Amino acid sequence: MGLRSFFDRIEPSFEKGGKYERYFPLYEMVESFLFTPKTVTTAAPHARSYIDMKRIMTYVVIATIPCILFGLYNVGLQTNMAIAEFGASGWRAAIIEGLGIGFDATNPLANMLHGLLYFLPIYIVTLVAGGFWEVVFATVRRHEVNEGFLVTSMLYTLILPASTPLWQVALGISFGVVIGKEVFGGTGKNFLNPALVGRAFLYFAYPAYMSGDTIWTPVDGFSGATALAVTAAEGPAALATYGITWMDSFVGTIQGSMGETSTIACLLGLAFLLLTRIANHRMVVGCLLGMIAFSTLLNWIGSDSNPAFATPWYWHLVMGGYAFGLVFMVTEPVSGSHTNLGRYIYGALIGFMVVMIRVVNPAFPEGMMLAILFGNVFAPLIDYFVVQANIRRRARRHA
Amino acid sequence: MPDKDNQNPSDEAQFTPEMNPPDRDIPAPEGEVVARKGLLRRFLDAPADNTVKTVVVALGLCLVASMVVSSAAVSLRPLQERNAALDKQVNILQVAGVYEDGIDVAEAFDAFEPHVLELASGEFTDQFEADSFDDRAAADDLTLSAPLEDDPASIGRQANYVTVYLLRNEDGTLDKVILPVYGYGLWSTLYGFMAIEEDGNTIYGLQFYEHAETPGLGAEVDNPRWKALWRDKKLRTDDGEGELAITVAKTPPAAGRDYYVDALSGATLTSRGVDNLVRFWMSERGFEPFLERVRAGEI
Amino acid sequence: MAQTYRSMLVDPMVDNNPITLQVLGICSALAVTSSMQVALVMTIAVTTVTAFSSMFISVLRSQIPSSIRIIVQMIIIASLVIVVDQVLKAYAYEISKTLSVFVGLIITNCIVMGRAEAFAMKNPPFASFVDGVGNGLGYGLILMLVGTIRELFGSGSLFGITIFETVNNGGWYVPNGLLLLPPSAFFVIGLLIWAFRTWKPEQVEEREYRIQTVEAH
Repeated sequence: MGLRSFFDRIEPSFEKGGKYERYFPLYEMVESFLFTPKTVTTAAPHARSYIDMKRIMTYVVIATIPCILFGLYNVGLQTNMAIAEFGASGWRAAIIEGLGIGFDATNPLANMLHGLLYFLPIYIVTLVAGGFWEVVFATVRRHEVNEGFLVTSMLYTLILPASTPLWQVALGISFGVVIGKEVFGGTGKNFLNPALVGRAFLYFAYPAYMSGDTIWTPVDGFSGATALAVTAAEGPAALATYGITWMDSFVGTIQGSMGETSTIACLLGLAFLLLTRIANHRMVVGCLLGMIAFSTLLNWIGSDSNPAFATPWYWHLVMGGYAFGLVFMVTEPVSGSHTNLGRYIYGALIGFMVVMIRVVNPAFPEGMMLAILFGNVFAPLIDYFVVQANIRRRARRHA
Repeated sequence: MPDKDNQNPSDEAQFTPEMNPPDRDIPAPEGEVVARKGLLRRFLDAPADNTVKTVVVALGLCLVASMVVSSAAVSLRPLQERNAALDKQVNILQVAGVYEDGIDVAEAFDAFEPHVLELASGEFTDQFEADSFDDRAAADDLTLSAPLEDDPASIGRQANYVTVYLLRNEDGTLDKVILPVYGYGLWSTLYGFMAIEEDGNTIYGLQFYEHAETPGLGAEVDNPRWKALWRDKKLRTDDGEGELAITVAKTPPAAGRDYYVDALSGATLTSRGVDNLVRFWMSERGFEPFLERVRAGEI
Repeated sequence: MAQTYRSMLVDPMVDNNPITLQVLGICSALAVTSSMQVALVMTIAVTTVTAFSSMFISVLRSQIPSSIRIIVQMIIIASLVIVVDQVLKAYAYEISKTLSVFVGLIITNCIVMGRAEAFAMKNPPFASFVDGVGNGLGYGLILMLVGTIRELFGSGSLFGITIFETVNNGGWYVPNGLLLLPPSAFFVIGLLIWAFRTWKPEQVEEREYRIQTVEAH
């Protein structure tokens, strides 16, 4: 273990009184990334088993792998299909032509590679910009650079459209990390999901780049509506005329943000997270029940003027960011509820809100991001009432 | 009644009330002259919590305040009314393309003839004074308006009469007509004017002067570049004799690009609202009877 | 009276700013800061109302019955606000249209009432006037700062004069739409308070809670 002894040798200069005391967080980040940490976590989320925070975070990143892989494929697929119609331009096309791979949409490898050329720049910018703020705050505030950022950066990248300009990527993650997390004291004290805060910032700051029909596939001149935009405008019956089948939506070969189109890839991730007990099943169950119950209620009520009322629950499940949000964001342990009953309520509230926003609000066809942020805000309140009810019940029992 | 405990709550308080003598005990005057001279003096010296004083201070203050407020309102009213009128005139000048910074608005506006139009017949009416007819009040007036069954512009009730403005060339022939249009977008009702050329079919411009759409998206209806898209578009096919074809959409309609204004990107609902309101107001239920007369050269 | 006129005027700028330290008058600060011009007019309106209401209340302070003290203050403030509103409608119509109800809402601005209660009721008229001007300007300072940030980055202009040519007009700058929405002022004011309190650590409030720490083993 030459590396271990190297770390042991340099560690004293980063410790209290050492030469590079200020840079301890940097040292700690690198060291604990490579080795099991020696210390215990002081702030939530608390792991109460052999598993530590780093492993939780690593597992979440592993769980996103199906989404990443499918996302790469789908971004490439959509782009290559659009290129067949509108022609290719830009540096990515030059690279692909230089490599002699071509824009054949039927070749999965060509699609993956093309997708990678969109995914990687966004991911790298996210890591650099977000990592910069992480290190700045860790250094000034003398806390550790938290592995949570690995998850945040990956989730943030996956919920962006492939056409997002890189400077917006940097701005969004900066806002997410600073306002969504660091101003409240860093990982474990954030009451909102930082990746979603970053995404919401971009959504409101640069709506023309974050919504509409032209942004999902990064080819000039291309325009393709998402399933959500279609149902919001014309109802679920119109989906067939746009050539969107339920199976397409479930598999994920549709318009949408990079990593969130495939419901099946998200479900694979969910299975992994549930098996490893990283994700709490109560939130998932609550969120599913809330969505199914409210969308069924709206189906039953019906509406003459708003065709989206007729959207059945199994379409809600596969459209937009519902599945992705359900698996990776609703289950996020810090910003969600911490009591078991509260987790059901928290999940159900998000399930209810997502349908509410998608169907009833005319301005936002997609509601998952806003619904989860809404749920985040209410999570502490839900916990408070659950705990108070528990205290009252106990007081009565022992009275 | 005075409540001594309810004194200034601030901890910086330097102002503490004197111990109040009972309210009723204003000392009797010693002589007529002294009493007359000292009435104000004694009033001011009386403790602030005296009942009489409380009432007098309250009444006096209300009197002074109401005088100040009403005299301000009355003396400034003419100026304010002129401003409101000017504001509307500027919008009409702008949509007709004659507005420039620093021009004399009132003088430029003299070139426009206001007329109250009966929508159903397309005829002008002398029933109302055109200068003072209030379109918005008319739309709410039960006797001057009718509820809409089929209501694409989401305006609820439609007035039977509206004010339109004619701009004539120097030789007296018609140059443009300015028509008020309004309808619901995403968050708000958009109020605006549409200018139509003398052929009764070519759009000169569309301008909204009041709305509350999303900044950066729907509010781009104010963007000069988008407004410029309306210039020279046609309302109807076949030089006005065919179907109403003008539309705000993402893709050109079958009728062709002459009838097509590109929708605002990212503002589907505002664009649809503008589409609806333009198509509603230019239809048979809106200005079509009048525009037919314009096309026939009757105006 | 320990304070000098100078300190009455200068203190509310940074050391005792009504917005960043006392966190008063936030609601109007959210609504009127999307452009500099509007923020400036609002500053002038609030400063005028605060200064004159403080002065009048101070003149009357020994005559105001304590039982109807608040009502008397409200009448004076409300009358002034209505006058200001009327004047704006007459001489600055465009801006008064943008400000709409927010001029009227100066009546409920905590700064005006706060200065009347905390200062004018126990200080002479001229001092109260100066204090009102100082607090109005302290409020205005923050308004202008927030307005600068929001208008510059939200519309690429200052006082309506284009600084960054926006993409929609053929330029390079992509305006940040969030800054045009009222909630963004929360973020900007929050960041300003953060900056002020980093600069002047004595403004930091004491924590109302205690963070439990777990010792490492």
